[in-house]
Amino acid sequence: MKNHLYKYVQFATLIIALFIGFLSNAQQFDNSKYELQFNLKSSKKSDNTRLLETNFTAINNEDSKDELIISDAEIKFYNVLDDNEVLIGESKTTKSGIAKFIVPANYKYLADEEGLITIEARFEGSDALEPISETYSFKDLHLELVLTEVDSVRTVTAKAYLLNAAGEEIPVEADLYFYAGGMLSRFKLEDGFLEEGNFEYEFEYTTNLPGDADGNLNISVAIEDHPEFGNVIQMKTDNWGVPSQHIPETNKLWSEAGPIWMYIVLTLMLVGVFANFVYTIINLYKIKKEGDQLES
Amino acid sequence: MIESRKRELVKEFAPRLETTSKLSKIWIGGLIAVILVGVYAFFIQLFNGHEVTGMRDNVVWGIFIVNFIFFVCLSYSGAFFSGILHFVDTPWKNAVSRIVEMITVISLIIGPIFILLCIGRLDRLHYLFLYPRIQSPITWDIMAIMIDLVACFLYLYLTFIPDFAILRDHSEALNVPNWKKKMYKFFAIGYQDTKTQRKRLNKITKAMSAIVIVLAIVAYSVLAWIFSLTLQPGWNSTIFAPYFIIAGLFSGVAVIIITMYLVRKFLKLEKYIRKTHFKVGGFILLILALLYGYFTFTEYFSKWFSHKATDSSILNTLFTRYFWEFILANYIGVLVPVVILFYKKFRTIKLITFASVVAILGIWLNRYLIVIPTLETPFIPIQDTRLEYIHYSATWVEWAMSSAGIAGFLLLFTLISKIVPLIPMNSIIDSEYAPKIKKRVNKETKEITD
Repeated sequence: MKNHLYKYVQFATLIIALFIGFLSNAQQFDNSKYELQFNLKSSKKSDNTRLLETNFTAINNEDSKDELIISDAEIKFYNVLDDNEVLIGESKTTKSGIAKFIVPANYKYLADEEGLITIEARFEGSDALEPISETYSFKDLHLELVLTEVDSVRTVTAKAYLLNAAGEEIPVEADLYFYAGGMLSRFKLEDGFLEEGNFEYEFEYTTNLPGDADGNLNISVAIEDHPEFGNVIQMKTDNWGVPSQHIPETNKLWSEAGPIWMYIVLTLMLVGVFANFVYTIINLYKIKKEGDQLES
Repeated sequence: MIESRKRELVKEFAPRLETTSKLSKIWIGGLIAVILVGVYAFFIQLFNGHEVTGMRDNVVWGIFIVNFIFFVCLSYSGAFFSGILHFVDTPWKNAVSRIVEMITVISLIIGPIFILLCIGRLDRLHYLFLYPRIQSPITWDIMAIMIDLVACFLYLYLTFIPDFAILRDHSEALNVPNWKKKMYKFFAIGYQDTKTQRKRLNKITKAMSAIVIVLAIVAYSVLAWIFSLTLQPGWNSTIFAPYFIIAGLFSGVAVIIITMYLVRKFLKLEKYIRKTHFKVGGFILLILALLYGYFTFTEYFSKWFSHKATDSSILNTLFTRYFWEFILANYIGVLVPVVILFYKKFRTIKLITFASVVAILGIWLNRYLIVIPTLETPFIPIQDTRLEYIHYSATWVEWAMSSAGIAGFLLLFTLISKIVPLIPMNSIIDSEYAPKIKKRVNKETKEITD
């Protein structure tokens, strides 16, 4: 028996030690195996502000699926031109490893002769991590969207241009994507292309799409992942949607109340079960009472 | 004569109730260690949120829900068999009835804990009771589980009363602490096995057995409807409720057989748990395996034949990414038990238990395949989702809490077996002296009438 007991203790200790050892190994971090990944992207919003966004992670050189997210890292965003640099702002990476900064619409960027703006996102390093930076260059594209309705003909017009030093508008070449809606997912309306020398692209809106209760619908135009301009979006809201009507729903999960039969069936079942519980407890009490009488 | 037999039985089962061997202490200590690791993992999840698990936007249910279904179905199955056993008048039921009742209650305590672990905002849990929607299968399931838990506790207690009375009356033969003796006295509620008390207890136990069977079927169906009343491919099926019932009974019988084997081996109960019990259990397992195999085939065959795009997509996922899991769950998990239990020469205690272990692993994997691949291939694809969010794999936090659940089940079983004997003494007395008791009762009745 003693030998058996010794065997069991030894076996159990080995299992626990292996288990704890496995867990503690899983928590160790060897940063020499990891390579830092630092990406910067930018998109111009419909209110002409500009979103600067970095994604900061570390990827295991031996296993690319092993990706660590670097959170709470301070990222500084600079506008760089030759030897000059201006700090635009700073932000910390979230639990998803993403740091965001929104540049106001009226911000005056430093740009070269061709209008190219360079942004540098910089992590200045910490005790555990080396410094790292990433630059991103773009031209500040102006995108306008106009919705017009003449004699019940609805026209969507998009205009895209750059401004030179003299403030003159310069036409550009770019693919345009037109969408409607946007709460759950965007519905594509039209793909267009701005050819050389053309400032504007327009098409007739003929689709009947549901809007809100007043028929308001968001229409947007976007330039996506352009090598010179990045992501630019412009949006307008107009009364072009079909007003959605509130129809009272019955017998649905989200309806005010369930069907009557459901209440009746459930009540009958619950009454039956609880009556049985009460019946059991009454009989248990009677058993106890008889037992008490026998004892006394 | 009956009293001396009762005393003999108390003495026979006393060692298990009186002392805890070193081996038992190590066993209990090991289980507590596993539970503590699970508690540590729970706090990590509580403070950091569900991001420490493998659950993401697409796969919002992971192995917690698989464990929930597994344990709750185990409980319903136990309740079903326990109720049936009460109506069967045969001496061999004595050896298994208490084991089945304990499995029923313990798994119903453990199972719902896993659903709580799935909830991201536990601080809003009370909203389920403040703002219930009677149209929601989740509301039905909460009601079913809570009512079933009360019914099972009551039923378990009713079956314990005669044994508490025997232990109270023969406590001088027991070397147990005073608190235990007081507990036996308190829970025996003055039961003296008189004619009227016996009649009353039999009456309410029979009524409760019937209710427990009905509740098990209702609760089983409600659990299946949580899945089948959605439009998700792989879940939206008319046969899901009976399929769940059969699968639950299949897993229940398998767990009962494994428990019988372990209890027989480690608690030295070979005298009571005999080969006949394994043969009967094996025969029921064979019938359930065939039914379960038939339902599984029907379920997937109709999906394959319909050629609906969403169903084809889920079948494609099952036969590519989850190929080996599918084979293990639905081929090995069914065919191995069937082959072992079909041939007489294979029907040994060890092989029947092995067939049960294979069946349990198959059923658990089957539950996994019902939940995870469906969530990975939703009816309406989620747009702009991250690639790493689409596929699920459980993290150590989930495995630690799952292991803690199993350890909790085993620990509760061990602790209850230290309070009452695993073989109901009262039933042994009944089966040995039933004709004499009947004669005595008839004589007493005649005297009263005269």
